[in-house]
Amino acid sequence: MKTALTNMICRFLAIAIMMMPFQSGQAAMIGTDQVNSAATVQVERNVVLNYLSRAQTVNELQNLGLDAQTAKDRVNAMTNDEVSSLAGKISSAPAGGDGLVVLILVVFFIWYFAFRR
Amino acid sequence: MPNWFVRFRSARLVAGVFLLALGGCASLVPQTMALRDTWPEGVALRTELAEVPFFPQQDYQCGPAALATALVHSGAGATPEELVTLVYIPSRQGSLQVEMLAAARRYGRIAYPLAPRLDDLLREVAAGNPVIVLQDNGAGPIVNWHYAVVIGFDYPAGELYLRSGETKRLAIPFTVFEYTWKKSNYWAMVTLPPGRMPVTATEPGYLASIAAMERVGDAHAAIIAYSAFLDRWPDNISASVGLANGHYALRALEDAAAALRRVLARHPDSVVVLNNLAQVLSDLGRNDEALALIERAASPGENLFAGTVRETHALILQRMEKSK
Repeated sequence: MKTALTNMICRFLAIAIMMMPFQSGQAAMIGTDQVNSAATVQVERNVVLNYLSRAQTVNELQNLGLDAQTAKDRVNAMTNDEVSSLAGKISSAPAGGDGLVVLILVVFFIWYFAFRR
Repeated sequence: MPNWFVRFRSARLVAGVFLLALGGCASLVPQTMALRDTWPEGVALRTELAEVPFFPQQDYQCGPAALATALVHSGAGATPEELVTLVYIPSRQGSLQVEMLAAARRYGRIAYPLAPRLDDLLREVAAGNPVIVLQDNGAGPIVNWHYAVVIGFDYPAGELYLRSGETKRLAIPFTVFEYTWKKSNYWAMVTLPPGRMPVTATEPGYLASIAAMERVGDAHAAIIAYSAFLDRWPDNISASVGLANGHYALRALEDAAAALRRVLARHPDSVVVLNNLAQVLSDLGRNDEALALIERAASPGENLFAGTVRETHALILQRMEKSK
C-alpha cells in the first residue's frame, strides 16, 4: 500500500521534474554536484528518489527522538549517496555508542601472549 | 583395517585440524598478518600524536567525543556537548557513520572516509592525522559498536594507541584491534582543514569529500580545498568548476572567470565550463565574449545541460538587447 503510494508520487514527480529545466542555486551557473553526477542519464529520476529519501530519513530521525528542525539540518548535511545509503535502514545501521570493552575472549589472551602483532 | 592405515589417517586428521586453526587465525586478522610480510613504505615503526586532545565520553556518547577529538585537533572549535545535537540519536544510544562524516563538514572541515586498509590507517596516523574508527567491541552474538580515535602505534611492541571512551591512552594489540575493527568493514575517517590533504587521498574520493563539504560549509573553505586539489590534479574539470562556483558565490567574478579560463584551455569542449564562463562574463558586462562562448556550448545533439545552456543564451541576448 505504502509502496504503491510512493510509486505514484515518484511517477508524478519524475514527470514534473522532467518538464522543468535543470535549476541550479545561482543564476544559470551549473553546480558542482550536478557536474559530478552528470555521468548518468538518470539524473532526473535520481533527483526524485533523493527527494523522497531525504524526507523519509528526516522522518525516521524524528521517530528516533530528534526534533523536526534538528533532523532536517542533519539530513541536509548529508550527500545524496549518503542519504540513499541510510533511508529505511536507520534502525539497523551500526550506531557507535558504548565505550566498554564487553568481552575479551580467552583466544585474545592466547594471542596476546603468543603474538601481539 | 591394517593398523598403519588408522595411524596414518589420524595423523592426517591432526595435521588438518592444526592447519585449519592456523588458517583460522590468519583469516581472523588478515591485515595484521599481511603486515608481518610488508610494512607500509615510508611509515615509521612507532609514532604517537600526544598532542591530540582527549574528551572523556559521557553516557553512550562516544561518537560526539571521538568527533570532537579529531575536530579540535584539526583546529575547529567543537565541543562534545554541541556535537551531541549533531550526531547523537537518543533512542539508538549512538551515532551513525554517515552523520559522523556529515557533522564534520558543518565545521568547514573535510571529512574523508579512508579505504578499508590497515596500511592506510597507519599512513594517516604517521602523517599526523588522528583517525576515527568504528569498532565492534562485542563478541559472539553481542554487538557493541564503538567509536575511538587512533593516535599512534608501536609496531615492535605490537600495540596501537587510542583515545577511547573514558580512557585517555588505551594500548591495544594489533590483533585485537583488527578483530574489533574488521566487523565495521574497516570503517575509518579523518577530518582535516581544507587545504590539508589526507596522505591516502584519491582523486575521486577527495573530490567527493570536498563537494560534500561545499554543500554545507562556507565558500571560503571550498575555495581553499579546491585550489589544493587542483595543485595536485590540475586536469580535473569538476574541481575547477567547484573553485569557480566558490568565487562566484562570493561575487569574486574575475577570479571565477580566471579559474574557468584555466580549465577551458585544457578542456576546450566542456559544455559546463563554456556555460559557466559565459554566465560569469555576462555578469561582468562582457556580453559579446559571453555570446561567442555560449554558442560554442550549444552543440548539436542533446546533453544534460542543454536546458541551462539555452537559458544562459537567452539571458545574454536579453542583456545585449537592453544595453543597446
